[in-house]
Amino acid sequence: MAATNEPLDVTPVAPPARRSRRGRSVAVLGGITIIVGVLISQGLVHSLNFFVTVDEVSAQRVTLGTSKVNLEGKVVPGSIQRSAMGSAFVMVGNGKYRVDVSAIGQPPQLFGPNIPVVVVGHFLTPTSTQFVATQIIVKHTATYIAQHPNRVTAPNGTKR
Amino acid sequence: MKKLAAQILGPTALVTTALTVYLGIWVTPQDVVQGNLARMLYIHPAAAWIALYVGFGTAIIASLMYLWPRTRSTAADHVAASAMEVTLVFTILTLITGSLWGRPAWGVWWVWDARLTSTAVLAVLVAGYLALRRAIDDPELRARRSAVLALVAAINVPVVHFAVVWWKTLHQGATILTPGSGILVHGIMAWTMLLSFIAFTLVYAWMVRERYRIAIRQQTRDDRELAHAVSARHSEGGAA
Repeated sequence: MAATNEPLDVTPVAPPARRSRRGRSVAVLGGITIIVGVLISQGLVHSLNFFVTVDEVSAQRVTLGTSKVNLEGKVVPGSIQRSAMGSAFVMVGNGKYRVDVSAIGQPPQLFGPNIPVVVVGHFLTPTSTQFVATQIIVKHTATYIAQHPNRVTAPNGTKR
Repeated sequence: MKKLAAQILGPTALVTTALTVYLGIWVTPQDVVQGNLARMLYIHPAAAWIALYVGFGTAIIASLMYLWPRTRSTAADHVAASAMEVTLVFTILTLITGSLWGRPAWGVWWVWDARLTSTAVLAVLVAGYLALRRAIDDPELRARRSAVLALVAAINVPVVHFAVVWWKTLHQGATILTPGSGILVHGIMAWTMLLSFIAFTLVYAWMVRERYRIAIRQQTRDDRELAHAVSARHSEGGAA
């Protein structure tokens, strides 16, 4: 075996690229695309507009028929009737159109008069204003007001 | 001056956060409609502010700096990566606090409205960015591809912001900086909310700074290990 005087090449070399390494970034990008696609499709399935308002539905009443819809409006004060099965109330928009809602199940804790709500369900018949709801969702406003704005703390720590 | 700012960043973040908690729980009044639920006002919007604007904004600027040849540096890549990691934390916090607020306030944990869906997409894009970084070994290729992905993901930021304007969502509209109305929060509630934004921004800055320092240490360690390996090969060559 002949001895060699050539210097040893110690230049760092990159490891040979493996297919699995290259494929990983493609797999990640593919994964992101699929998950984002699924999320967006879920949003589109449920419509970009989460609800239709009572005013809008009054104009689309015939075309809407008895198909499932998320209907938004404000609860009329004094109209709420609670029972063991659920609750019944009247919902209005900005116009004169009124919808009589019969909701099954317990409403959320913030449900009450003058509160904007979205009811999930359908109209009883294609022409009636009776709406059967399987779910009530409260839609709170963007305004936050102190419950007792004039209340002050006394020197002894009590609220007056 | 820079060193002093770095030294007081952590303690200042801690103090402002503690003050936010104190004001948010013990001083601010209940909301006339939501009662105590409105105290989420001092967590959720501030977390969203960091996730959507501050965190993503930092990552976009740093990614642009990396892609622009004149400003390209490893530091820009490290800043973008650090910002994205912290952004993921705040995006998840936004989704969790929103869900915890939604259950008692709306009556549901989750709905597929445009604001919530686009925020979930944001979380996936940020997680995807971090996954992509782990999938590529070559530092330059990793930095370039992840910077491009950050800019592509940035398209979603205005979608999240304007979702409540463009479409009818269950999520409420803007509470601050509303056109014509200014801020729709009462007195000390508004000041506490503002403080929460400052506190979360300071916490974010502290987290990004610490993550950046870890990234630099990791790189220094890797470089040192490579130098050791090369030196060892040289020694082997000399011995032969």
